[in-house]
Amino acid sequence: MSQIMKRLLLALIILIACLGEAPIAETPSGPALKPFVRGSWQEMLRAHAGRPTLVHFWGVTCGPCKVELPLLGQFMKDHSEVDVVMISADLVPNLDSATRAMLQKAGLASAENWIFSDGFVERLRFEIDPSWQGDIPRTLLIAPDGTVTTIEGSAEIPDLEKWSAQQKAAMR
Amino acid sequence: MLRMSLLATLAFSLCHTPVQAQMSHHQHASEAACEETTLRCASKVAPAFASDGTLWLAFMAGGHISVASSKDEGRSFSTPVQVTREKFTLDWGPDARPQIVIEKNGGIALAFSRFRDKAFNGQVLTTRSADGGQNFAEPQPITPSNESQRFVALGLDADGSVFAAWIDKRNRVPALEEGKKYEGAGLFFASSKDGGATYSETRLAADNTCECCRIGLAFASPGRPVVVFRNIFEGGVRDHAVMTFADPATPGEVRRVSNDDWQIAACPHHGPSLSISAAGTYHATWYTNGKARKGLFYARSQDEGHTFSDPIPLGRADRNPTRPYVLVGPHGTTMVWKEFDGEKTAVNAMISHDEGKSWSKPVAIATTTDTSDHPLLVSNGQKTFLSWMTKADGYRLLPIGDGS
Repeated sequence: MSQIMKRLLLALIILIACLGEAPIAETPSGPALKPFVRGSWQEMLRAHAGRPTLVHFWGVTCGPCKVELPLLGQFMKDHSEVDVVMISADLVPNLDSATRAMLQKAGLASAENWIFSDGFVERLRFEIDPSWQGDIPRTLLIAPDGTVTTIEGSAEIPDLEKWSAQQKAAMR
Repeated sequence: MLRMSLLATLAFSLCHTPVQAQMSHHQHASEAACEETTLRCASKVAPAFASDGTLWLAFMAGGHISVASSKDEGRSFSTPVQVTREKFTLDWGPDARPQIVIEKNGGIALAFSRFRDKAFNGQVLTTRSADGGQNFAEPQPITPSNESQRFVALGLDADGSVFAAWIDKRNRVPALEEGKKYEGAGLFFASSKDGGATYSETRLAADNTCECCRIGLAFASPGRPVVVFRNIFEGGVRDHAVMTFADPATPGEVRRVSNDDWQIAACPHHGPSLSISAAGTYHATWYTNGKARKGLFYARSQDEGHTFSDPIPLGRADRNPTRPYVLVGPHGTTMVWKEFDGEKTAVNAMISHDEGKSWSKPVAIATTTDTSDHPLLVSNGQKTFLSWMTKADGYRLLPIGDGS
């Protein structure tokens, strides 16, 4: 077997192995969700440091979230300069397939999507904001300098537009 | 070729690693310690003492509702009796919980809610045991309505009848059909004269209340249930209200407990608690994040909820105090709540011996290092106990105070 053939075969094997993997194969619709566990919050903050970032906490069982999600999908489409991070913070047992389907439908499949995956939610919430008791929806607007603006309940899109314009102006 | 198959194995194992991690995450993500229907695996536990001193627990474990009893103040429990036969999707909302009342004759009435569909529409089911908890009737819907119902509360009236109140979305559909905006859900009620076997026709107590919080239930006097709930006041303000019924079929006025000014279009998932003393003092405790105040609060009323004292804050604001609960016991009134310090959750308790005018200093009476159910209080007529289910340490029943 030539080296090239071997390499091709190896590549094929790896590809098949990984395709066959598909932990989300049973529920095909929607984006992959990153498990949000202890330390994920700091990891996420580090990854977006210096960039305007909208972090939205939501959940499939939350009525107001259903209304707000498509609006956020449109906001993300209109504002490529803002990093959009969606974190499903519904309490366990979490429903991966329903979560992914809702994100897909709202046009948020390409956002950075996380899902609470630690049964000790008090600790997860404490890492994010010790005063947060888990009410959703909740939006955190993180400016490039790290300043956080918290919006409890449904966010008004004009407020998000205003914030994003301020970030643009500040970066000029 | 051997080398290739080794590489292939490596490739498969590399790709499999995230799956194993994913699976262990799911295991770890559970609120319960295990998946069986035993008490050790419970995520939500509701306690009640029978008049003979037996402690009964109704709990949610392994996808079922079960009951177990203890004759030695929680040191040992009977083999659980499974109440649900088919495996429902039980309501796992943070404030949902099975309800249990024990009648004087030993009958046991239960109520709980399940999700009926994938849109999380709830249904309240009730059942009863007439043979001291050995067998339960097939759970039946509390109402024929198919609109969403959740957060049922059960209370035992002095004459042995069972009063039930819950959150119900039936008024939303006609409002929307008429093109009207409909906020929240209605507070509905019914009562049972046969120990929870059948319930009266469902009636509305108050419309447009918050749809995602537990409600508190107590009795002002025989035949006069009192309900405390998160209402939706003018302008979408989700502050607390109390309603004193004239009798189990006649709702009273909606009276405001506190003007916290929490205007929010969101689900707080964090309902109030109510207990009423023999002297008629209403003790209410709740969570708010309003403009006027934020955190856990307590207030008392001596005029059936017409007016309440100035709210007093509970717990340390930097330790995220949550889930307050109040109970009038044989030797005073006790309040408990949870606090979290970044590593462990503690249940703090304080006691009042003067109808809530003054309170002892809060003391941490139990801690745990993983997730836990809400702390609840239960009395056997001689002592008040903390009833607390924890994932790491199992179920705990702890006597509170010196009994003086």
